[in-house]
Amino acid sequence: MNMKWLIRSQSIVTLAAGMIYPYYLLFLKNLGNSYSKYGLAFAVFTISSALVSQWLGPRLDRSSTSLLIVSSLGMMGAMIAFPWVMSYGWVLILQLLMGTCNAMQKMSERQLLADYTQPGERGIAIGSYHFWTTVASGLAVVLGGYLIDWLTINVLFYISALLYGASAMAVWRMRKRVAMTPITETNNGSVAIRG
Amino acid sequence: MVKKAVALILLISLRIFTYYNTSAADQDPYLMTDYSRLHPVKVERVVQGKEEEQLIHLLKDAREHHLKVSIAGQRHSQGGHTYYKDGIVVDMTSYNRILSIDPKGKKITVQAGATWEDIQNAVNRYGLAIRTMQSQNTFTVGGSISVNAHGRDIRNGSMIKSVESFRLLMADGEIKQVSRSENAELFPLALGGYGLFGIILDVTLLLDDDELYSSTTETMPTVDYVHYFLAKVRTDPDIRMHIARLSVAPDRFLTKMFAKNYTLDRTEPLEEHNKLIIREPLVAPGKLLFQFNRSFDWGKSLIWDLQTKYFTEQSGELISRNNAMRAAWQFMEYDEPGSSDLLQEYFIPVQEFESFVKAMGTIVQAENLNLLNVTVRFVNQDDEAVLSYAKEDMFALVCLFNVPLSSKGQKHMEQSVQQIIDAAIKRGGTYYLPYAGYPSLMQFQKAYPNYKLFFQEKLKYDPGGLFMNTFYEQYKGGQAG
Repeated sequence: MNMKWLIRSQSIVTLAAGMIYPYYLLFLKNLGNSYSKYGLAFAVFTISSALVSQWLGPRLDRSSTSLLIVSSLGMMGAMIAFPWVMSYGWVLILQLLMGTCNAMQKMSERQLLADYTQPGERGIAIGSYHFWTTVASGLAVVLGGYLIDWLTINVLFYISALLYGASAMAVWRMRKRVAMTPITETNNGSVAIRG
Repeated sequence: MVKKAVALILLISLRIFTYYNTSAADQDPYLMTDYSRLHPVKVERVVQGKEEEQLIHLLKDAREHHLKVSIAGQRHSQGGHTYYKDGIVVDMTSYNRILSIDPKGKKITVQAGATWEDIQNAVNRYGLAIRTMQSQNTFTVGGSISVNAHGRDIRNGSMIKSVESFRLLMADGEIKQVSRSENAELFPLALGGYGLFGIILDVTLLLDDDELYSSTTETMPTVDYVHYFLAKVRTDPDIRMHIARLSVAPDRFLTKMFAKNYTLDRTEPLEEHNKLIIREPLVAPGKLLFQFNRSFDWGKSLIWDLQTKYFTEQSGELISRNNAMRAAWQFMEYDEPGSSDLLQEYFIPVQEFESFVKAMGTIVQAENLNLLNVTVRFVNQDDEAVLSYAKEDMFALVCLFNVPLSSKGQKHMEQSVQQIIDAAIKRGGTYYLPYAGYPSLMQFQKAYPNYKLFFQEKLKYDPGGLFMNTFYEQYKGGQAG
């Protein structure tokens, strides 16, 4: 059951991210007059992501679900803030925030994937995980295009924020389940997701 | 497994639907068109205008290779004025520097690709404002003066009146300084010349003081409008800007109006209200409402009721001239494949207004056209531009239609628009040339009796026909080669 909730929450995350990602790049490009300036805006994302990973590493095993929630809430904040940004400096700051959230999400996702599966039996679960998150992302990109045509890119940011909020809720529910379930059953639960 | 198959089929179906939905020529990124998305064609190349020398060299190169040159700004004209099949398109939007501001003399010199917003941003701090401009501030200066635009200001005439001079890069590569005293013959030709006389490089514009206005909105039946305008608006020198709107709601079709006046306010200092409005408010709800307006009769009624209520309640609001001259536009952006929102504009002598509105309404209803919006502006008589649209004081009716881009839909629109233009010409009116080329050659010649002179001069200044566009090709008739 935990794996199911992980897939569900992270599919919502990829829906939120996939919806915004290609259009966000266009949005960023419009902010800079040169590709190098655009490149910089994008590079700071990776800097914070790499830096934070070193701090997160030792804490990951204890706090991965909390980190997923914080990551989603952080991304939600960034998505709400983007339409209001009026300066390049703020874009860089939000990129730093998003890089931090990215590290939390990517690291926790991998750690939980490992926790919820058994060595030698991971393939099917990881295949399922990849399938649903990819489908969510593919759906999101097309929907995002229609939404901008019909509404505005700002609305897309807000919808993405809502989805990040929903993913935080989903992880929170998953954590409650884990807290109520004895550890042995958790491991059994991981096998049960195959159905 | 079933769930996964369903998800995959859904994803693939959505992709296939989107592919076919966006496969029409108006969506082809390798073809060139303008804001109308009509008549997409392949062009030789698009060149970003950057330096004077580069543009001179480009013309030389085009002459040597027998290529045609079209000039583009924001490409909001809708009749193929900015491109030509297999020609070079000079995109002037990157040729956009502010060259000098003379606050005392109230003048500004800008490169032609600068937008009106660039000018507003530059002159607002000096307490100065633009004299004449179309409602939106996103167009380039070069583009607007090439169509001799007009707007809400009712005191300063068409745009040509606010141009002091400009430099024109001619077909032979020579650069001419053009003003009312220097190379004066070119002045009324290139302004409102649709890019056919040369590349306008930089322009010196006359500015006005920024002022504080109180905006008020009044509603009235259409039959009362002319009297209202002449008795209350025209005669009050404090009313500097004016715009009116006709209802397109089916139950009040063109019979109800509201008029918005911007009256000089002396009660408060300008400095408290002259911070430029950067963000357009409520774009998403506005866009959704406008989509209802396109799609449903109830949407047309809803938007009319909301607009009337909103503007009436806002009456008394104080706004600076610079802010009043940056009308909202994002909510009207429309990219739907296969159909487009196209503008048409008819200039009607003041006393013929009511009769024309009736005639137009009959045609629009009989032909079942999807009319989204009609705004009314006042235009002063303009005897200067060779292709002047205002042979006397006129009302300009700006009509926005949602039209299918299919050839059948376009044919129907062409026939309908020609009927409306007949109704305009019959009443001594004209129509605006930057829009789709629906009017017949004969209608063009009737509405613009100076056309012979215009095309003769074109041949004189550009005998090789270097500057070329779809509009010219369509309307030059037997006058030019």
